[in-house]
Amino acid sequence: MSDALRPDSGTAERFRTVMLPHLDAAYGFARWLTRDPVQAQDVAQEAMLRALRYFHAFRGGPPKPWLLRIVRNTWHDLRTKRGADESLDVVEDRPADGPDPEENALGADRRRHVAAALAKLPTDLREVLVLREIEDFSYKEIAAALDLPIGTVMSRLARGRQQLAAELRSRLGRRDHGLPDL
Amino acid sequence: MDCPTCESLVDAYLDGELSAIQSAEFEQALPGCPHCATRLEEARVLSSLLRDLPADTAPDLLRARIDRELRAIGAKARPASPRQSMPRQPMRWMAMAASLIVAVSIGWMGGTLSTQGGRDRDELVASYLRVASSEHTVDVVSSDRHTVKPWFAGRIDYSPPVHDLTSDGFPLLGGRLDVFDGRKVSVLVYRRNQHKVALTLLPASSASGVPVSVTQRDGFVMGQWRHGGFEMRAVSDISPAEMESFASALDRAVDADR
Repeated sequence: MSDALRPDSGTAERFRTVMLPHLDAAYGFARWLTRDPVQAQDVAQEAMLRALRYFHAFRGGPPKPWLLRIVRNTWHDLRTKRGADESLDVVEDRPADGPDPEENALGADRRRHVAAALAKLPTDLREVLVLREIEDFSYKEIAAALDLPIGTVMSRLARGRQQLAAELRSRLGRRDHGLPDL
Repeated sequence: MDCPTCESLVDAYLDGELSAIQSAEFEQALPGCPHCATRLEEARVLSSLLRDLPADTAPDLLRARIDRELRAIGAKARPASPRQSMPRQPMRWMAMAASLIVAVSIGWMGGTLSTQGGRDRDELVASYLRVASSEHTVDVVSSDRHTVKPWFAGRIDYSPPVHDLTSDGFPLLGGRLDVFDGRKVSVLVYRRNQHKVALTLLPASSASGVPVSVTQRDGFVMGQWRHGGFEMRAVSDISPAEMESFASALDRAVDADR
């Protein structure tokens, strides 16, 4: 990806059709990577503009892994540019995403814990889990988005799930998480 | 199969990444390995907890900025370059978020598919996107088939089978009308995790069944098949494997109803 082209109106129109529907996913993935809504917006915006400049290099296939790969690279670049990643050690519980009238307080509380436990995982495990469980990517798509061998995707998923389970067990009582006893 | 072997397959099994033969071997080994059975249960619970998290939505400001950028390029009206071989389709309504929705639409394709597959497909994808990108995704909002089915009566000239597939992981969200091939058709909308599925369903010209064929293009997955005297066309952004399980769940529900 070295040859960025100035997009023309046809490219913009096609981008609108193929990539723009995945803006929510781009923002969501950026949010799980940065764990900060403001930084996530910066990353997602920069990534969408990059994706537009490089859209001529998109060779078809599923657009979401292609786009989220750019999100991840953009996040990586911006983080490097900013120097030390101060946010890495400061993991706050994600605030609830607005009112959720359909669910009772117990469900909302459980979701907060699940989100916080996921946010606490190391990045390499967290990103694999997010792509698998939240974006519903196949192993092949995860491997493409993260530029990893499939074997590494598998081992990180297994480790990520075990660490997440351990974290949730320490946060929630048996009845709330529903995880089996070990 | 010894325990280390089956433990190494737990995640891939849950994620649907094993071949049919591997899956069968794993299922055979599982009752003899309580450790792996527990790990599988744990991974299942985690999966449902994670998929239960509220989906992120891009802030309006971010969407507006990207949209402005795209419109600025369009306004310059630069001629399309030669590599721009795809037809340009001015579908601006697609700018709205579509990624979190899976919609299933049921529509009339009878006999025209073999010759007009591309155009039909575009119509179906457009129908899906109307479901996926609009806040008003359905005209009749109900998971109750006894509400949805009568709603179609008088609005279209056939009676589509309506089934809630919640037990198969595809809860029915409701139904809507759309136009396919110049004809009013019924579209059923289902949900799969954070995605929507649009199913278009119309009376078939032949009673014989045709197994589902799943194709992918531009990130959309389309399943087309014929069952129980109806042509089924489902469009979504779920995985091809999930599309297949959607088709078989629907077929089972249709069969059980006969």
